[in-house]
Amino acid sequence: MPPITLIMKALFLFSLLVFLSPFALTAAGDDYAEAPESIEALLGEEPAEGSILDTFREIFKKFDVTWPTLIAQMINFILVAFILYQFAVKPVMATLDERQQKIAEGLQYAEEMKDQLAATERERAQKVQEAAAEAQRILGETRDQAKEMIEAKTQEAAAQAEAIIRKASEATELERQKMLSEVRQEVARLVVETSAKVLTRELSAEEKASYSNAAAKELAES
Amino acid sequence: MQRHKKVIQLAKKMVLLSRDDAGVITEARVGEVLAGLRQVQPRHHLLLLRKYLNYLRRELARQTAVVAAPVALSPESLEAIAEYYTKLYERPIQAVAAEDESLIAGVRVRVGDDSYDASVSGYLQRLAARVQ
Repeated sequence: MPPITLIMKALFLFSLLVFLSPFALTAAGDDYAEAPESIEALLGEEPAEGSILDTFREIFKKFDVTWPTLIAQMINFILVAFILYQFAVKPVMATLDERQQKIAEGLQYAEEMKDQLAATERERAQKVQEAAAEAQRILGETRDQAKEMIEAKTQEAAAQAEAIIRKASEATELERQKMLSEVRQEVARLVVETSAKVLTRELSAEEKASYSNAAAKELAES
Repeated sequence: MQRHKKVIQLAKKMVLLSRDDAGVITEARVGEVLAGLRQVQPRHHLLLLRKYLNYLRRELARQTAVVAAPVALSPESLEAIAEYYTKLYERPIQAVAAEDESLIAGVRVRVGDDSYDASVSGYLQRLAARVQ
């Protein structure tokens, strides 16, 4: 049973006692009206003036309270108290219990949520850490790949540059060979032309005839 | 097509008839062949004459050594050349002189499609070709 219910029950009983105690005291005062005198008489003392019983007795007299009325009132009160307890206090208690239960469940749920939140937070932190590590790994791989690519491209560019230089060198060499060939051809043509002109001008008819006959003879004897 | 074949065969036969006993085409024999042709008057005689002329030229070129020189050669030289090429080709070849001043000096002999160069210009050209 929840403590609030116990407290409520205790308060209810306490209030009932408080309400009933004057009547009980009055009744007791009425029942033992004679007793103090006998006790005091037994003890040989005078009854105390203005005691609380006298006060109650005077109040009762002033308000015209009699025993039958008091008992009826008490029964009425007990009935009312019973009815109130059954139809008011009990449902209120049940509602309070239910509310208490709900609050406890809510608190438990909040606690669970708090734990779950903490776990989620831990998981999130772990995920963030993993993601950071993954990002670092990817970054490292990317850096390595970029480095490799740069190296490959550099090598490729160097090879291309070398090929271009080689081709240019070959083209230059070819051009040089071609120029040399052209120069040779031109020189040979000039030499032949000049020699032909010189020989044509310098050789006499007799020399030509002599040479031609000698050539014919040589050709015939070859 | 068949007609052309027959004309070609006839033209070749006429060329053979134009040779003398030594295998040399002579003017007299050619005159006889043409006279015979004139008498027979074959069909397509114009085509036949054209073919005969072609084969005759080719045959004459084959049995003629054209000796080109910048100046006139001595008859001995021409005779020596004719004798040499007759032996070489194993058929009668006549040497015919031709003047060509571009040769500068020396001779150039042409027999049919063959050419033999012993001229100064030929030497110079070969020298130039070797330099190149």
